[in-house]
Amino acid sequence: MKRVFVITILSFLFLLPIGHASEIIGIEADGDVGYRQVGLIWTTDSPTEEGTLFEIWVSNASIVDTANATKHSEVRVGNVSGIIQPDIGEWYDDCLFDSGEGDWTPVHRDLDGTAVVSVGAIGVNCTLTGLPSGIEIYLAVKSTTPNGESFLSSSISSSSTMSDEEIIVIETSPYVFAIGSIALSVLILLFVLRWMDYRDGRTTSRFAHLYIAPAILALSVLTFYPVLYGIWLSFTNADQSHLGDQSFIGIDNFITVISTSGFFRVTGFTLIWSVVNVAAHIGFGLLLAMALNSDDLKGKTAYRTALLLPWAIPSYISVLVWRGLYEPAGALNDFLGTNMNLLADANGARIVVILVNIWLGIPFMMMSISGALQALPKDMYEAAEVDGINKFSRFRYLTLPNLKSALVPLSLLGFIWTFNMFNVIYLMTDGGPNLDFDGPGSTDILITYVYDVAFRDGAYGVAAAWSVVIFVMLVVFSWTYMKKTNATEAVT
Amino acid sequence: MISAKSVASEPPDDLASKWYVPAEVDSLRNLYPIVVAINFVSLCIFVLRGDSDSIFSSSMQMIVSVVILMLLSKLDQGQRFIRDGVISISGLALLLSVLQFLSGPQILIDFWMMLWTSLPAVLVIYSVSKPIVTLWASGNQTVRSAELGLSRNRSVSRFHGMVFRHVALLHAVAFVLLPILWIVDVALSPGNSLGGEFFETVTFEHFSHILSSESFWIWTRNSVIVSIGTTILGLALAIPAGYAFSRFKFRGRDYAMFSFLLVQMFPGVIILVPYFLVMKALGLLNTSLGLILAYSVTALPLCVWMLKGFFDTVPKELEEAALVDGCNQNQVFWRIILPLSLPAVAVTALFSFLAAWNEFLLALTFNTSEEMYTLPVGLASLISSTGQAWGDFAAASLLVSLPVVILFIVFQRFLIEGLSAGGVKG
Repeated sequence: MKRVFVITILSFLFLLPIGHASEIIGIEADGDVGYRQVGLIWTTDSPTEEGTLFEIWVSNASIVDTANATKHSEVRVGNVSGIIQPDIGEWYDDCLFDSGEGDWTPVHRDLDGTAVVSVGAIGVNCTLTGLPSGIEIYLAVKSTTPNGESFLSSSISSSSTMSDEEIIVIETSPYVFAIGSIALSVLILLFVLRWMDYRDGRTTSRFAHLYIAPAILALSVLTFYPVLYGIWLSFTNADQSHLGDQSFIGIDNFITVISTSGFFRVTGFTLIWSVVNVAAHIGFGLLLAMALNSDDLKGKTAYRTALLLPWAIPSYISVLVWRGLYEPAGALNDFLGTNMNLLADANGARIVVILVNIWLGIPFMMMSISGALQALPKDMYEAAEVDGINKFSRFRYLTLPNLKSALVPLSLLGFIWTFNMFNVIYLMTDGGPNLDFDGPGSTDILITYVYDVAFRDGAYGVAAAWSVVIFVMLVVFSWTYMKKTNATEAVT
Repeated sequence: MISAKSVASEPPDDLASKWYVPAEVDSLRNLYPIVVAINFVSLCIFVLRGDSDSIFSSSMQMIVSVVILMLLSKLDQGQRFIRDGVISISGLALLLSVLQFLSGPQILIDFWMMLWTSLPAVLVIYSVSKPIVTLWASGNQTVRSAELGLSRNRSVSRFHGMVFRHVALLHAVAFVLLPILWIVDVALSPGNSLGGEFFETVTFEHFSHILSSESFWIWTRNSVIVSIGTTILGLALAIPAGYAFSRFKFRGRDYAMFSFLLVQMFPGVIILVPYFLVMKALGLLNTSLGLILAYSVTALPLCVWMLKGFFDTVPKELEEAALVDGCNQNQVFWRIILPLSLPAVAVTALFSFLAAWNEFLLALTFNTSEEMYTLPVGLASLISSTGQAWGDFAAASLLVSLPVVILFIVFQRFLIEGLSAGGVKG
């Protein structure tokens, strides 16, 4: 202890006049700690002062400055009293620090999960998660003192060698047997139907069953079979280590689903996401369709073509482009003259993903409503105009009721699509910010979270249970919606 | 206490002067709520900028706009005083907005905000001070002038409606084009900068880099194989089925058609996990065949419905005549129906090609090795946790989407018709 004290004093004497940050003298990486993980150890030349911030930067090329890299995470040096100190294995990622006495202690955790090490630490050993596996990545640590001095370590390369999943040889024969028997029974069914037609003396449709056979076979083998298999999976303990030998465990998976910490939050946000999007799609689509619905509008084709672009461009490209616009250095801040980092803020990110999806979905609704508008009788409007009905009343009492038969199925279709819109959220935020170990992130909707459960955690059974829950929600919603809209239709 | 005489003396035509409101005033009343809303948007932008002076002046402007809106709704015949008030307050609004613009940072969006505060004010001053409105507001109009005004209103309000349409459409187009222009700019700028001046320096380094990179061509090859395979297999499955549904009455037809509809309702997610496991068990992960099988079945219901819709429009008499002439059912299908509906088949083919070309989720899940990435997954991997190659991504995405966009725009009418025949009506 005394020795450390002396070293501290000495190094302070040595460092203070120059005032530079603790230099990182050693950095080591270990790609063999887990799936998509890399262990990173760095040591500093002097005990760290309070307020120092370590930033871990990642890139696919050697890091000379942080401009070409992405920030992975931060470790803060500061006061650790009153905040939690999870044990090894208790947190999403493990992080230890060396206080100078040669022993590794687990770090403390901030409210937002940032690792906090005690003042005076001379080494940190963290497991970095979520890195791509199998490719060479470069890591560097940047330390910044409270007075703004910063130091970037040399970069070190590593690759997460742990493979995607354990190599499990799955018995193929049960699947082949299932597929074969389904195909055979469908064929027999078609044959019996054909025979019954023959018995009844229908001769004009001799080839009908033959013609539909390929499509029906494909549909049953590649859609109905997986759906049924998925329902069965939701009652089993299938996961990465129990594949092929999964066993029935009752409704445990559904209990896991309901008791997930963010279940109601993610369901609530999915509902908000769907309803706001569909309302905006229909609202703006209707507005634009009505603006375009005029015979003597100049440049109509040009407008139509330009407005169709969000539909024509592949959606994954548009979403990534929007993500670039919203980056702190992106053009949106230049354009508005602001300085925001919307994607890092929970509510900001929620608004942003909804805005992007609104941008994507308007053209489809606009074109569909346009078609329906053109089918409305023109003389109805002429009569109303002669009678001195103003524009708003014409819209409210003529256009809307007549469009209802088109808007009800369109909105339902839009709702189901938006509910299952994976690309926007996955590519914009990947469910973040605030991605925790156990539960959905701030912008996760149900389907992106199911993807995480299945392919990040490898819990296939639980993911199948989520899927069934989602499907039931959709069916219940669609059914109620159809009932409700039919009921009002009968009244008016 | 109205006597018969007074009723008779009051000409029924006088309704004209009761009803008459100049179209200008009507349009301004419709315009000003929008102006207030846009004022609010500008206020929000200033709040985000944290510029307290602008926040103050912008809220002043908003108050002024609300006052103008209220005065406009009060403006009526014989309200000369209100007419003068509206004009002078609009002058104030104009002054405020110009001052605001001059004191601000004067980037494009400020110019837009200035236009939305000053132009409406100019319009108010111009229209309300027109002789015809002045006459109406001062209450001195005759029955004859009111009648003339009513007939004039029709053409004037039609003109205003057209201007409204153009303004709304131009805003929508700007909103659509903003990200597209930006990505063109990023593709043509050196380095990976995301901001800065538009088209400052133009370079084609990203295009040459992406075109000479091996992985881009691997992804393209995979995407082409998968999309063409999907199109061929999908059509091979869908054409006979669509034809059978369109022409034949057979046992089980309704159930089969219903099952196609039902599949369209299934959210993709419920299939994703079991799909993945089945493909894994059959060794179809990281192969093109796995994606081809999955895509052709996903697109199958819509293709069948689209083709059924097209086949329905081919006259039945043609077939009957051919049957009478001695063709058998197969020959009728191959020699008569198929050549006739070739355009429809082409549109369906385009549809399934585009769907496969743009699909992301299944490709991401099934083909995880970089050798087997399709373009969507490959392009997304350029922007990932380890790489921020925005310039390359922008160049590649322009290269990938340009042909698709052109195809879509050229065939939009048919695609949309087909979709509405298959999706919405079905």
